[in-house]
Amino acid sequence: MSTTTVHPAPPQRRPFLREVRETLLLAGRSLRTIPRVPERLIDVTFQPVIFMVLFLYVFGSAIDVPGMSYIDFLLPGLIAQQIAFSVIGAGTATASDMAEGVVDRFRSLPIARLSVVTGQVLGQYAEALLGVAVVATLGLILGWTPDMSLGDVVVLLAVVLYALFAFMWAGVLLGMAFKSPDAVQGTGFAVMLPLSFMAGTFVPIAGMALIPRTIAEWNPISALVAAIRELTQGTHTTGSWPLEHPIAGTLIWMTLLLIACVPLAVRRFRRITAN
Amino acid sequence: MNAPTPAAVETHGLTKRYGDVVAVDALDLRVEPQTVVALLGPNGAGKTTTVRMIATLIAPTAGTARVGGHDVVKNGDAVRRQIALTGQFAALDKHLTGRENLVLIAQLRGHDRRVARAIADELLERFDAGEFAGRVVGTLSGGQRRRVDLAASLVHQPSLLVLDEPTTGLDPRSRQAVWSTVRGLVAEGVTLLLTTQYLEEADALADRIVLIDHGRKVAEGTAADLKARVGAQRVDVVAVDAAGFVRLHDALEPGFDVSAAPESRTISIPAPAAATDLGAVAAAVHATGVPVDEIALRRPSLDDAFLALTGNAPDADDAPAPLTAA
Repeated sequence: MSTTTVHPAPPQRRPFLREVRETLLLAGRSLRTIPRVPERLIDVTFQPVIFMVLFLYVFGSAIDVPGMSYIDFLLPGLIAQQIAFSVIGAGTATASDMAEGVVDRFRSLPIARLSVVTGQVLGQYAEALLGVAVVATLGLILGWTPDMSLGDVVVLLAVVLYALFAFMWAGVLLGMAFKSPDAVQGTGFAVMLPLSFMAGTFVPIAGMALIPRTIAEWNPISALVAAIRELTQGTHTTGSWPLEHPIAGTLIWMTLLLIACVPLAVRRFRRITAN
Repeated sequence: MNAPTPAAVETHGLTKRYGDVVAVDALDLRVEPQTVVALLGPNGAGKTTTVRMIATLIAPTAGTARVGGHDVVKNGDAVRRQIALTGQFAALDKHLTGRENLVLIAQLRGHDRRVARAIADELLERFDAGEFAGRVVGTLSGGQRRRVDLAASLVHQPSLLVLDEPTTGLDPRSRQAVWSTVRGLVAEGVTLLLTTQYLEEADALADRIVLIDHGRKVAEGTAADLKARVGAQRVDVVAVDAAGFVRLHDALEPGFDVSAAPESRTISIPAPAAATDLGAVAAAVHATGVPVDEIALRRPSLDDAFLALTGNAPDADDAPAPLTAA
């Protein structure tokens, strides 16, 4: 029979540092699995490419945006759409984790219960950021010419990172609420697709009929699109207040989203784990 | 007055209700350190719910449970440090390899990467999982996955191991492998609480067996006790038809201790001496000249155990379980 070596006890760490370490470990685990799960890899690589090609080369020729080239108009929309769609990815990954026993395993370890959730969020965050980076890079390669000062770049990064953060929590909450990855995907797409289209993403809002235009003017995603557009091109969108003050509008929307989602997500996790 | 060494597990009136359904009904359980206790019962008996409460994954509705003296509700962390639960479905990330899973768990336990790797490799070797440790868990067979799962449970060297239906769904060879691994662990001094549907498994591994049905303890004792009450092996003689059954019964009754089950045309005779008794019965049957469908040596099943100890088949009692007082 083999003998068991007695290993040294793990070092004691201060609680906050411990949670940070746990979060990073769990996030790392999430990221390491991206290349191994084809659907997730496609989400961050293939899908943005398809959308870009579709709209640039298939529809783009028929869409006329006064004052700028279509690609300059489109890229902010695509970036915002990638951010919005990441909700679905995050939700699906969370739901499939919850469905498997692996979350039980983590829960049976003496780690902070919250670390499982924060680890998920961080991992999904990094993955979604990757998707956004792919879109932006591809855009640049295909001829997107953003016109930004250094200040604009900093603000843009801040807006994008903040928006992504809020959407991640929404996605994780969705995943915990629906529990089935298929349900998350189905519902997610059913909601996100029209919502991301009615946001000035691919065509200017001003040209839409009354009802879709009204939805688009107050759609949080529209504010995000308008914000990115203003920062990258200096374009000013007219319409509702969030559209005319898109950066502030985006920050307000995203903060509201966080206020709504984070406590619910934490509470739901506690309820799931208590049961 | 100081209490003696606390029991590894101790529950009092442990109850879990889901709405109107009582999954676990005022269960009193006690597991002494360095022993093996098996919770034996059919599907839906409440075994999994019970051990999940003990492992702090579910909160009890009423009653208490203590692991090594620590209350599962009040001192969850202390309990989790001592306990490891291995479920029927492997609790591993199926997109990571076996080794990656173990290293991650060791790291989450607090070890740095180097030590984590050493722990992982050592456990993999101990469970004979080295050859497939580099493969993604999702690609492993049930038995292999179970072994990695077991290894993962032992990363933090728990003093109490809880195995929830460890061999359900495994082929006989994998089952034997799991049993011998478990025996090895017990030899090293781990306390073990396992749940199972199989009497042979409880018999093979446990010092004490607790029979559970509808969330309630039905009987308790050593394997030998239960077997004495249930009866050990027996020879079953199945007649071809009802008339033959009657003739066989009349012919065998004088010489043997027969029990009869007319609905299945079966006559059962205790067979403590196994093959010898089988031979004696077969000879007697042959002497009667009555044609038979089957003469077989049988071991008592869970159904037999329940029948003997409760007077019912395990699911015969369909009356709703009474709600215990809140």
